[in-house]
Amino acid sequence: MRLPILASLVALLLLSPDLTAQRRGRFNRGGQGEGGGSPAAEQPAAPQATDGKPKKHTAITGGDVYLGTGQRITGATVLIGDDKILAVGHKIELPEGTTVIDAKGKTVCPGFVCVYGAGMGQGRGTPWIDSCNPFDPEIKQGLAAGVTSFLAGAPRGGNSPAGDAAVVKLAWGKVEDMVLQEGTVLGMNAQLPAGEREKFRDLVKQAKEHRRAQEDFLAKKSEDPTAKPPKAPAGTEKILDILSGKSKLWLQLGGGGFNPFGGGRTGAGSDLDAIRSAMQIAAELGTGVVLVKPLSAWLCADEIAATDSMVILSPRDRVPADPADPDRTGSNLASAALCNQAGIPLAVTCPVGMFGGAGVGTNGLLGMDLNTPTVDAAFAVRGGMTSSQALRTLTLDAAKILGVDHRIGSLEAGKDADILILDGDPMHYRTFVEVAIVNGRVVYELANEPLYSRIHR
Amino acid sequence: MTRPTYRSAVVLTFAIAALTISSLRAQTPSTERRDPIPKGSIPKDTGNSLDVWHPNRPATEAEHQVAKWGPRGLPSPGYVFFAEKVLPITAPPIENGVVVTRNGVIEAIGRAKDIAVPDGYEVVDCGDAWLVPGFIEPHCHIASASFDLNDTVHPTNPEFRTLDLITLEHDQMQMARAGGVSTALYIPGSGSNMGGFGTLTKTWGRSPDEALVRFPGSLKIAQAGNPERASGDLGAGMMGMSDGIRSTLLDGKRYHDAYLAFQQGKGEKPKFDPTLELLRGLYLHEFPLSVHTQIYQVVLQTLQELRLELGLWTVVVHGEFDAFRMRQEMREAGLPIAAGPRVYHFDTRYNEISGLMADWYWDGEDGWRDQVKGVGRDGIGVNTDSPVVPQEQLTLQAAMGVRLGLPHEVGLRALTINNARFLGIDHRVGSLDVGKDADLGVWSGDPLDPRSHVKLFVVNGTICYRRNPARPAW
Repeated sequence: MRLPILASLVALLLLSPDLTAQRRGRFNRGGQGEGGGSPAAEQPAAPQATDGKPKKHTAITGGDVYLGTGQRITGATVLIGDDKILAVGHKIELPEGTTVIDAKGKTVCPGFVCVYGAGMGQGRGTPWIDSCNPFDPEIKQGLAAGVTSFLAGAPRGGNSPAGDAAVVKLAWGKVEDMVLQEGTVLGMNAQLPAGEREKFRDLVKQAKEHRRAQEDFLAKKSEDPTAKPPKAPAGTEKILDILSGKSKLWLQLGGGGFNPFGGGRTGAGSDLDAIRSAMQIAAELGTGVVLVKPLSAWLCADEIAATDSMVILSPRDRVPADPADPDRTGSNLASAALCNQAGIPLAVTCPVGMFGGAGVGTNGLLGMDLNTPTVDAAFAVRGGMTSSQALRTLTLDAAKILGVDHRIGSLEAGKDADILILDGDPMHYRTFVEVAIVNGRVVYELANEPLYSRIHR
Repeated sequence: MTRPTYRSAVVLTFAIAALTISSLRAQTPSTERRDPIPKGSIPKDTGNSLDVWHPNRPATEAEHQVAKWGPRGLPSPGYVFFAEKVLPITAPPIENGVVVTRNGVIEAIGRAKDIAVPDGYEVVDCGDAWLVPGFIEPHCHIASASFDLNDTVHPTNPEFRTLDLITLEHDQMQMARAGGVSTALYIPGSGSNMGGFGTLTKTWGRSPDEALVRFPGSLKIAQAGNPERASGDLGAGMMGMSDGIRSTLLDGKRYHDAYLAFQQGKGEKPKFDPTLELLRGLYLHEFPLSVHTQIYQVVLQTLQELRLELGLWTVVVHGEFDAFRMRQEMREAGLPIAAGPRVYHFDTRYNEISGLMADWYWDGEDGWRDQVKGVGRDGIGVNTDSPVVPQEQLTLQAAMGVRLGLPHEVGLRALTINNARFLGIDHRVGSLDVGKDADLGVWSGDPLDPRSHVKLFVVNGTICYRRNPARPAW
C-alpha cells in the first residue's frame, strides 16, 4: 500500500522541477522595474576552442544571403567555425571536413532579434541562467518563427534607471548558451516628478565627474603607484553603465494608449512632451537613449536622430487624431519609414493589446504575436519602408537597441552563428523557416519537427 | 412580453438525447490522428453555385415582408478603372483589365483592349495595382459611437437592433474603408444569448439610409463562450442558455404561425408585438441567424437546435478553436462558417499547429473543397470580430489562414463571395460582375500581403478614400 504512494511521491519530485520550468517562462517574469537586484554578473565569454582554431566547420552554400545590414548577396556562402561566423561571400575556401548545407533556391538571413519576448525557456530573473529551461517546447515554436534571441524581462518605467533584463538565446538543449548577456537594458520614465528629475540630473553630473576622476586616476597611476582609484558616488552605478555604453536606457513615454472600445476618442493622442523630455535626458547623458513606442515620433524624427537615440515601434499601433483638438495629432503608419529616413535605428514589435502577445504561445491570434514577427516589420513596409530596410528592424537594429550588436544581428565574420534558412523572401507572409541555427548548431528543422507538419505547402 | 421559462422541458430532454448521440458520433473521427494535408489542385469554379442560400428563401428582394433592403442605383459618376490585374473572384483574373462603373453599379468588366471608354466617363488609371471587390466583414461591432457592444438586459434580447447606431464616420468605419472593407454585418455582442438584430451596411454612404444593404442583416445568437456572464439566474449553464434561446425563438414561431394563418384568412391578425415582429423574418427565411459558437460541442448545438430542429437559415460566425471537427455534419446540414480571428489551432496531442481555415478546406474526405449548395468551398468565410481585432486587419486574418495552408484563391473568396453568399447578399456584392454594386478596392499589390495597401477605395460607385502617402490611414 505504501509503495505506490512512495513511488508516486518520488515520481512527483522527479517531475516537478520540469513542470515548473515549463511554466515559469510564461507566468513568472519576475523582478522587473525598480530595485532590479544585484549588478549584472560577469558575463561568461563565448565558448572558444582551446587551441584558438575552430574544431567544426559548417557552410551554408548557394543561398540568397541577406546580411541583416540591409545588403544582400546572391549565391553566397556562409562559413561557420564552431559557434561563430568565419566568412560570408563568394569563393570562400571550405576547410576539409566542412559540413555543407545546401541552400540553393533558399534565403539565408540572421536569426531574428526581438526586443520584447516572453516564455521560450527564458527563466525567472537574475541570474537568468539558473532558471532557463533549454527544453521548453516554446523554444521550438520561437525558432519556427525565426526568433533566435529576445529580451527577457523587458524593463518598465520608474524614477531611476533600473531593470533586470537579459538577452536570451533560443539555444535548444544547451542551457549554457541560453543567456547572451544580462544588464544591457535599463528602463526609466521619460517624464519624472520634479524632485526625481532634479535628483537624476544631479546623479548624472556626479557620474560624469566620477568618470573624469577615473580617467585622471588611470593617467596618474603610471606615475604614482600609490594613487587611489576614485569611489563611485552612491546611486550612480546604473548611470555609469549607461555612460560607458554597457547598458541602453529605455525611456517609457507613458502615453498614447488607444481603447478601440471607447469609440476612438480615448488615449492621449500625442506624446510629444514626453519625447522632448527624453531628448533632454539624452542630451544630459550625452548618449542616445531608446524611445519605447513613441506615438509622435513621426513629428520629430530629426530631433530624435540628432541625439543618436533609437526607437522601438509597433507600426500597426494606431491612435486616431482628434479633429477637434490640434494637440492630439495621433499616430502615423509612416512613422517607421520617417524614422528610418532620418537615420534612426529602429526595432519593431507586436502591439500589446487584448490578444497581442509578447511571446509565441499557442492560444493567441496568429499575426498578432511572436509567431509571426515579420508581420510587424511588414506593416512598417506598408507605411513606406523597403523590405530590406524592414529586415534590419528584426536583425541588426534590434541588436543595437538591445546593446548586443557586437555579438548578433548580422551575418558578419566574428559574430555568433545565429542563422535562418527560409523558403522565400523573409518579409513575405507565406515564408517559413526551414532551418534555424543558434551558436552554430542546427536547433530547428521544419522537416523534422511536428509543429508545422500539417501545413500544405 | 414573453420571457424564457423552463416550460419546454420535453423538447429539452429530446435535444439532450439527440446531442449525446451526435456527440459520440462527432468524437469518433477526432481521436484518430489526422492525415497530413494532401497536395492537390484546386477544383475549378463552376460558376455561381447558387443564387439564394436557403431553399425556401424569397426569390427576390421585393418579396421580403420583414427585411428591408437598402437602395440601389444611387447617382455616382461614370468611371473607367484600368488596372494591371483585375480579380473578379468568380472568374479568372484579368491581366490589363478594365471595370466600368456608373450610378452605383458595375456596367462592364473585361480586358482593356475589348472595352471602349464610354463618352463622358472619367478614366482612372490604377497602373500596376490590383483591382478587387470590396471585402465583406461578416462579424463585427464597429459602427456605434461608444461602448455599444452589449445590452445584456435579459438573457435573450430580440427587441434590440443595431440599425439605429450606424455612424459612418466612426473611426472603425473609416479604417474599414482604408482596409478595403466595403460591407459589414454590424451585430450586437455576445454578452447575452440573443444580442439583437444586426445590420448589413456599406462602410460608406451619404447617410446610413443610403449605406443600408439589408435590415435585419441577421439575428445575433451566442450559444456559449461569452453569454454565460449575462444577467439573471438563467444563462449560466448550457441547459439554461439553450432553453432561453429556444423559448424565445419558439415564441417568434407562434407569432409567425398566427400571422401566417391570418394571411391565409384562417384567423385574426395577431396583436402587434414589437419584440416578435422581426423574428417572423427568420421563419420566412429572409435573413440568417448569425451564431457566435466556437468549440465543436457548441457548434453541434447550433446544428441540432437552430438548423435542424427549427429549420432556420443559420451561419456560424467566429467559428474558432476546433469547430472544424463538425465539418461533415455541417456540410450535410448546410451550415457555413466564418473563421476568425483565431486562425490557428494547436493540437496538444501531436504538438501540431494547423490553420483553422485550411482545416475546413483540406481535411481528409470531409474537406470543403467542392462547391456544395451553401457550404463547401463557398461556405468558408473569415471575420475580425472588430474591435477585438481592429477592422483594418481583416485581410491579415485571411493572410494568416493562407499562411497556414488555405489556398490563396480561397483566402480571397473567403473575404468576398463566400461571405456574401452565406449572408444572402451575393446578388449585390462579393465579386466584380456586371450589375453588382460598384464596390472596388485598388490595392498596391496582393491584398493579403500585409505590405500592400489600399490606394483608392470605391463604395457604391463613389471614390470615398484616397490614400495619403505622407500620412496613410492604413
